[in-house]
Amino acid sequence: MKLSDLEGKAAEILQRYEYPKAAMLPLLWLVQQNQGYISPEAEAWVGRFVGVSISHVREVVSFYNMFHTEPVGRRELRVCTSLPCVLRGAEDLLERIKETLKVSPGETTSGREVTLTEVECLCACEMAPMAQLDERFVGPLEGETVDRIIKDALTEAGKPQSTPEPEPFICSDGPVLSTRFKDPDGTWFEGYVADGGYLAARKALTTMTPQQAIDEVSKAKLRGLGGAGFPTGRKWSFIPKTTKPKYLVVNADEGEPGTFKDRYIMERDPHALIEGILIAAYAIGSHKAYVYIRGEYFRSAKRLQRAIDEAYSRSWLGKNIQGTGFDLDVVIHRGAGAYICGEETALLTSLEGGKGFPRIKPPFPAISGLFSCPTIVNNVETLACVPFILRNGAERFAGIGPDSQGGTRLFCVSGHVVRPGIYEESVGVTLRHLIERAGGVRNGNKLKAVIPGGISAKILRADEIDVAMDFNSLMAAGSMAGSGGVIVMDETTCMIDALASAVKFFADESCGQCSPCREGTGWVHRIMRRITEGQGTLQDLDDLLAIAGDMEGKTICVFADAAAWPIQSYIAKFRDEFETYIRTGRKALIREKNREAAVCPS
Amino acid sequence: MPKLSIDGREVSVADGTTVIQAAEKLGIYVPRYCYHPGLSIAGNCRICLVELEKIPKLQIACNTPVTEGMVVHTKSDKAEDGRRAVLEFLLANHPLDCPVCDQSGERDLQNFYLNFGLYNPRFKEQKVKKHKAVALGPHVMLDQERCILCSRCVRFTDEITRTGEFGIFNRGDHAELGIYPGNELDNAYSANVVDICPVGALTERDFRFKARVWYLSSAPTVCNGCSQGCNIDMHYVLDRPHLNDGARVVRVKPRYNPDVNQWWLCDEGRYSFGWIDRARLSNVRGPSANATWEQALTAISTALAGLRKERKGARIGVIASAQLTNEELFLIREIFQSALGAQVSASVPQKPGSCDDFLIKADKNPNTLGATLLGLSGPDARDAAQIVDEGLAGNLAALWVMGHDMVELFAEEKVRELSKKVSLFVFSGTNENPTVPLAHWVLPSAAYVEKDGTFVNCHGRVQRIGRAFPPLKDSREDWRILLELAGKLDLPLDWRGPEQIFRALAKALAPFEGLSYETIGAQGVDVSTAERVPGAVAP
Repeated sequence: MKLSDLEGKAAEILQRYEYPKAAMLPLLWLVQQNQGYISPEAEAWVGRFVGVSISHVREVVSFYNMFHTEPVGRRELRVCTSLPCVLRGAEDLLERIKETLKVSPGETTSGREVTLTEVECLCACEMAPMAQLDERFVGPLEGETVDRIIKDALTEAGKPQSTPEPEPFICSDGPVLSTRFKDPDGTWFEGYVADGGYLAARKALTTMTPQQAIDEVSKAKLRGLGGAGFPTGRKWSFIPKTTKPKYLVVNADEGEPGTFKDRYIMERDPHALIEGILIAAYAIGSHKAYVYIRGEYFRSAKRLQRAIDEAYSRSWLGKNIQGTGFDLDVVIHRGAGAYICGEETALLTSLEGGKGFPRIKPPFPAISGLFSCPTIVNNVETLACVPFILRNGAERFAGIGPDSQGGTRLFCVSGHVVRPGIYEESVGVTLRHLIERAGGVRNGNKLKAVIPGGISAKILRADEIDVAMDFNSLMAAGSMAGSGGVIVMDETTCMIDALASAVKFFADESCGQCSPCREGTGWVHRIMRRITEGQGTLQDLDDLLAIAGDMEGKTICVFADAAAWPIQSYIAKFRDEFETYIRTGRKALIREKNREAAVCPS
Repeated sequence: MPKLSIDGREVSVADGTTVIQAAEKLGIYVPRYCYHPGLSIAGNCRICLVELEKIPKLQIACNTPVTEGMVVHTKSDKAEDGRRAVLEFLLANHPLDCPVCDQSGERDLQNFYLNFGLYNPRFKEQKVKKHKAVALGPHVMLDQERCILCSRCVRFTDEITRTGEFGIFNRGDHAELGIYPGNELDNAYSANVVDICPVGALTERDFRFKARVWYLSSAPTVCNGCSQGCNIDMHYVLDRPHLNDGARVVRVKPRYNPDVNQWWLCDEGRYSFGWIDRARLSNVRGPSANATWEQALTAISTALAGLRKERKGARIGVIASAQLTNEELFLIREIFQSALGAQVSASVPQKPGSCDDFLIKADKNPNTLGATLLGLSGPDARDAAQIVDEGLAGNLAALWVMGHDMVELFAEEKVRELSKKVSLFVFSGTNENPTVPLAHWVLPSAAYVEKDGTFVNCHGRVQRIGRAFPPLKDSREDWRILLELAGKLDLPLDWRGPEQIFRALAKALAPFEGLSYETIGAQGVDVSTAERVPGAVAP
């Protein structure tokens, strides 16, 4: 399709935003979906539409890794090589695909059937090792499913696909978030309402003041489940009482390796999120909410859009909702491949049409956030808890968790467990119990280590798992609850490989804004690569620790700190292994053992 | 007015002041790369980290607003260790090629490393390869490897010129500065990005490999390229002719003046210094070969004195110039207008030049307003064309043209005719032009950087041009030529130089009342307002 044919659609997209520049990512997506890639002409076209110079369009295109500036194959196969997939054999998977397709990552097959791309975490660790073929997630890619995915990759899109739909374990027994998770095809408006849906919103809009809604959420001790754990009610109360427009921005840029909960909320119970959005918007006085969904989550965006359309048609969104006089519009905004956009201020910059650069604070988003207006950014899971709180009362929710934090979490368990998947538990559950619930360590192997809250969290040894999973307890244990991504490692795990994978992730995903992070993540990545190539020295370990220390606490956002923590904790807790590895080059031995373990039926 | 303490010293500053600004007020310089007072705050380089009591993490001074009772340490061990760490990161992928870098000797990366550096590099890995020696446009060269991605240049083209050429592409340690492929950095202010680049990533093509900066001398002056009067530093070399093909002026840099040009200078002004060393008039020319100043001034003054004696002063025409200083125009007024009764004009037709709504003015003379205040230009003054017409009509016996190329302004035949009609045709000026061969006497005068004096810019700010270096060869300052002439005419103008002339001018002319070189200072004073305080000092 020619650019001139896209103008009508582009004008329609511009209508959704208060400022034209915010339409940058959707317009780039529009071009790429219609032309396969973003040509210089298209960059100029988008620049004219949104009112920025072509250099700034190129900045954005080159920042997000889902955009192509050159033609690619008819299909794209994106293979995840982040830690949770690596633990389940992603490196071998990639090798097999490379050999069969006879291409390296970044290349397209000779018949232009498929472009192979190596990517960081797609947040589908429950199906590791996994890949994404165009818009679809597939996994676990083991044994003959590897042949199937390769066959599918070479088959035209739209033709029957041979790779089966993933069937990971997803709990549906509640009590708060997972009760409508049973149907893989999702719970829609009728089903949601039949289950008591929108009662909470009705209650808030008709019987409560915004302040009462905030108080209820505060009493429930709901804390931000995106990773920071900030008390949600308190966050809402920061919104100043000005006449400026206020925005609610939903952080659905799920990206922390080991995390995949928000996707299930959006795909299986999207109305719970919409109802949470409605209540939160009412509480803070916002009439416009944006849901920023990571670019790779095509299906989540589609399903949530379907639910939003349902809500509009049933007067649960739009003007004069249910005759209460309250207005709310919800717009889905898709990212394009950048972990950093999960950081709330980077998300806002990205939403405004820029590179995902975190912002210097002050000002804080509650004072000056999206379009320089008061803004609250909340995670999907956090908001999905809100209807339960208003329907069942703050006491009930608070009672589920320990004193410092109410409710449950959708714990994402991945790595070397028998049954990777989502497990809803009180936030006070112990790590040991979670691992047991996931079937324990695979093959009867011994547990070696666990990352309790996504790849940034400090690693725990096998003897440290009798810890509760709430924010305070894990912080006291020297780690963090983070996003609730539990990555389990058994005795076959080479900690050097694991750390190399983690630092590669941070080097690939650093936005490059602050010098300590930009240079530090690249530096430690190169040191770790040298070590895994057998060229390490014992001095490297001290250098790694020194560099990690120098990266900490010196940047605009905490990405650099998050990049430093794995380095510090892996080396501190497994120093003997690192030293032995460097001295003797044990890598080959551990690899072999790992491979044996992986082929055993699990 | 919050009161805070920085390095043990107390200071009160206005609300909204940042720590870096408050420190500056105390004379405490916090290192910075991305921070530039003329641009928005980026906060990305992290070199300005300081320690704030009661706050666990180091904070960037450039974006931290001061609060009452804040206690700041810029030189504590923790703050210095933070800066040491940041510098090590900045240098990780920097090529460390200072010995061959044009900006060596004047760049903050180098300076701060000397202060806080590690001196024992730990970085043993391969550096990221990027592009080197990329010509971005007519004036600027980019070395991507030297760039530390501070984004000053990006903000400059976004916020100051609003042309948006620069971008930082890709991410992580593969992020690189550049402009869009195929585009050019050719805005009217492009070379300012070189001045604000804190490393050697952006260099001037014109200055490339010409000279090490430590061989250059610098003199503060004012650009004469248009009526804006941007403050500049003239960088020159007198004792190493091999560095610059014998030319004295090597480059021009903007000089901060909050009321005139802030930190900036247009490319046109920056690169129009060539005439100062090229095609200069360097000897007196007259009817006979080997003419001397003495012969010239004697001949000219004799002719003028003769006309005065015959009460035919009105048969003298002087086409002065708004390129001359107030002091010189004042002398012209005193000698020619008052004493001789000549027809004088500094109102000369000119083709309107390029202009914009920022610094570039269509009037390419630096002192039109000065000439107007002196009554030699403007709507009430005589026009140069009138004087030419008088000459062509046979009503002039003597014509003195100061600097103008009359051939270009009035066509060659007319000037040839003028040259025949008048019995004395004097040309004084700095450079060769087609009018020069038609004059009876040619007096080589000094370029503006070779003399002291003042200009009044288009906004009414009187600024001193200073003197960078002496006049070339046998050329003389116009004020000196005029004073000597006055002496030969027995006029009682016993001033020794521009400063004394200005004092007399200030007494004679109301807008300049009470002003002196001292009050004008380095930043100029507004003549159009009653409040004549020296301009604020650069932060």
